[in-house]
Amino acid sequence: MKYSLVLAALLSVASFAANGNGEKREVVSAPSNITIVCPAGECKKSSNALKTEQNVLTAQKDILISVVGQGVAPVNTSSPAQAYALAKRAAIADAYRLIAEKVKGVRIDGQDLVKDMMVKRSTVRTSVAAMVRNANIVETTFKEGLCEVEMEITLSRSQFPQ
Amino acid sequence: MRSRDGNHSFTLSISTIIFSLLYASALFADEYIISYRYTVKDAILYNETLDISKAMQKCSGKPYNSIIFNTTKSQNLKDILRANEEKFLNFLSKLGLDIRYYDTTSDSINRSTTVVILPSKCFKVDFNENFVKIAPLK
Repeated sequence: MKYSLVLAALLSVASFAANGNGEKREVVSAPSNITIVCPAGECKKSSNALKTEQNVLTAQKDILISVVGQGVAPVNTSSPAQAYALAKRAAIADAYRLIAEKVKGVRIDGQDLVKDMMVKRSTVRTSVAAMVRNANIVETTFKEGLCEVEMEITLSRSQFPQ
Repeated sequence: MRSRDGNHSFTLSISTIIFSLLYASALFADEYIISYRYTVKDAILYNETLDISKAMQKCSGKPYNSIIFNTTKSQNLKDILRANEEKFLNFLSKLGLDIRYYDTTSDSINRSTTVVILPSKCFKVDFNENFVKIAPLK
C-alpha cells in the first residue's frame, strides 16, 4: 500500500513535468501593436477574435466616427443668445478634440514626486495635435447653460495617401 | 446674296453689350489673407480672433470650394463676414482646422486648454452687385 502511494505520487510529478516541458509558447503580434504570449494552438483563435473586433479602414468600407462635445456658457454674459453662442463654440472645440483623439491618438505624460517614501505630487499631462477636415455638426442642444454638439466625420481610405 | 451675319457692326455691338453686362456684375476681385483662432479653457470660450488682411503679394493657386454671401452693396469684407459669421465659420471647418489640446491633472485638479486654428490662408474674393464670392486658393 505504501509503495503504491509513493509510485502514484512519482507518476503524478512526472506527468506535471512532462506538461511543463511540452507547453511551447509562441509570440504573435496583434494588429494594434500589442504583443500576446499564449500557449501553442490558442493564439490563432485570439488573434482572429481581435481582428474581428477592430474597426479596420479598408478600401471598401468607410468608418463613421461620432462624438458629442460639451461646452459651458460663461457666467457673465449679456444675453442668453450670447451665452448660447459662446457655449456652442466651446462645445464644437471639444467635439473636434474628441475626433482628433479617436483618429490620431493622445500623448500622455505622467510624473510622480515621491519624497520620504510619500507621494507629494502626482501630475498627468495629456495632449492632442491634429488637423480635422470635413467634420459635420449633426445636432446641437442647449440646456441649463450646457451646450452639447454631436459631430460626425467619415473616414475613407482614399483620404490617406498610400 | 448678303448673309445674316453680314451686318457685322450690329452683331458686334450686341455681343459687346451682353459681355459688358456680364462683366459689370463682377465689380472687382481681390485677394485676402484670412486666419482664425479660438481658445477654450476648461470648457469655456476664452478668446476668439478672426484676422483679415489684404494680400500684399499675389497669391499662387487656383480657387476651389467657393462660398457666396448675399450683400447689400457693402464692399467691406470684415462687415460681410461679421454679418454671416456662422455660415463662414462652418465653411472654414470644411477647409481643415488645426486642433491643439493640452490637459493637466495635478492632485485631482484638472485644467484643459483647446486651441482651434485656421492657419493663414489666401482667399480670392469677388465683389459683385448683390453678392460676394469667397474661394480659398490651392
